[in-house]
Amino acid sequence: MPRLRRAMRTLLPMALLAVAAASAAAQDMGLDPPTELARQSLRPYWHVFIAYTIAILLVAAWAGSIAKRLADVEKRLGE
Amino acid sequence: MSLYLDQIRVIVWKDLLLELRTRERIAAMGAFAVLAAVLFAFAIDTSVVRPQDVAAGLIWMTMVFGGLLGVGRTFHLEAQDGAMLGLLTSPAPKDAVFLGKTIANFALLFMISLLVLGVFMLFFSVELGPSPLVLVLVLALGALGFVALGTLFAAVSSGTTMGETLLPILIFPLLLPMVIYGAGATSRLMAARPVAEVEGNVRMLGAFAVMAVAVGAMLFRFVVED
Amino acid sequence: MATAGIRRAGLALTILGLAGLVLVYWLSFFWVSTEMTQGVAQRIFYVHVPAAWTSFLAFGLAALTSGMYLWLRDDRLDRAAVCAAEGGMVFATIMLTTGPLWGKIAWGTFWTWEPRLTFTLLMWFIFLGYFMVRSSTEDPEKGKRFAAVVAIVGALDIPFIHLSVVWFRSLHPQPVVLKPEGPTLPGDMLTLLLTSLTVFTVLFFGLFLLRYALEGLRSRVELSARATV
Repeated sequence: MPRLRRAMRTLLPMALLAVAAASAAAQDMGLDPPTELARQSLRPYWHVFIAYTIAILLVAAWAGSIAKRLADVEKRLGE
Repeated sequence: MSLYLDQIRVIVWKDLLLELRTRERIAAMGAFAVLAAVLFAFAIDTSVVRPQDVAAGLIWMTMVFGGLLGVGRTFHLEAQDGAMLGLLTSPAPKDAVFLGKTIANFALLFMISLLVLGVFMLFFSVELGPSPLVLVLVLALGALGFVALGTLFAAVSSGTTMGETLLPILIFPLLLPMVIYGAGATSRLMAARPVAEVEGNVRMLGAFAVMAVAVGAMLFRFVVED
Repeated sequence: MATAGIRRAGLALTILGLAGLVLVYWLSFFWVSTEMTQGVAQRIFYVHVPAAWTSFLAFGLAALTSGMYLWLRDDRLDRAAVCAAEGGMVFATIMLTTGPLWGKIAWGTFWTWEPRLTFTLLMWFIFLGYFMVRSSTEDPEKGKRFAAVVAIVGALDIPFIHLSVVWFRSLHPQPVVLKPEGPTLPGDMLTLLLTSLTVFTVLFFGLFLLRYALEGLRSRVELSARATV
């Protein structure tokens, strides 16, 4: 499905860029974690970053898998 | 109605008679129960854990694994000798076949669970507690729910290429409520807690068993049709 | 052909959903306020909870269409069930991976037998069985029936699973429950949560429709393959 692929190709990098930029910016904003749990540690930021990345990767993987299978089926139907 | 009950009775009798003659399943389940208890006894480090603390949970896991052994073979004979077609084209309605098989399996598993209880009492030094009948009821209700689900999914798994290996994957997630309520009630009764404390558990186990039997009876025909 | 319409609708919803997802990401990093007691890690909530809801919606849809399939024997219902089940697995996986990431920061432990996590884990396995059963029969029609039975029994077990896990947890001392905040969510957090919920739902339906169109095409291919034999 060329349209879906194109859509994915533009949106996916944008999303990843947004996440990366956000995590960098969040650190710069000097958000001081107020709790003992996260004081003096960047670990929570990592966790948030990884969580959001996993979410988009899984969604993208499903979408990509559907797109690929659609292309395969269309090829077979075309024969 | 009495015809229906007769049909169930015939199927129960057939399966139990076969079992009596071959003693295949009961021997396997019985040996498993005792051997599992032996291994569990040595797997517990008594310097770290009191055997009495973990006995109830292990009793239920032994029942589950042993039950899997027995229930998995429910349709083995039929599948092997091509007797499945005969069973299904008989005038007995499919849910009667299911109920018959379930009751026969229940008889087997109930006996085995009593054996498991006895063996664990011996190896783990646990007492029956002041309400042994309630304890037996708990085991019986758990066994009933288990065999109902097990019989249904045994029919499913014997129709797949993976066979019995698929059975635990299908059943285990569904058994969580039974294990929670059953092991919870068992450990309390063995710790001599009053029966009132386990009333809720017994009710839930009963509800679970009823649901399992009803759902199994309703869905069995979709599994074996063709 | 109806399939083309479904594909268009699916593609539209998917693109809308993906755009919405970018928006949600931006909002949760730049706009919403930080929660007081849990700090930055609480932001995972805006992805974790919508994923959970979507997976429950998807699994519920799969169970419902499975039941109707056994009753009405319309292949379209079975196709809808398989597509919903697939979506359910995807969103359940998101929920099960983001939960521990949040939990490690919030409670100090990766896993806890919290009702929603436990429940999602079990549903994940029940539907794993759904797919395994479907693909391990020689006759595909049998596979569809078997899978439908798995989905239905799984759905019927849900109240028991929920009640038993809640009871189990009431007996043991628990770490702080997975709550975003106190009894009420402040305005901006609630807005973001609802936005994210909508986005995830739209995304699911978009991908579901695309998947459904795929399944429809697939069955056409199979039919023509069988016809030519």
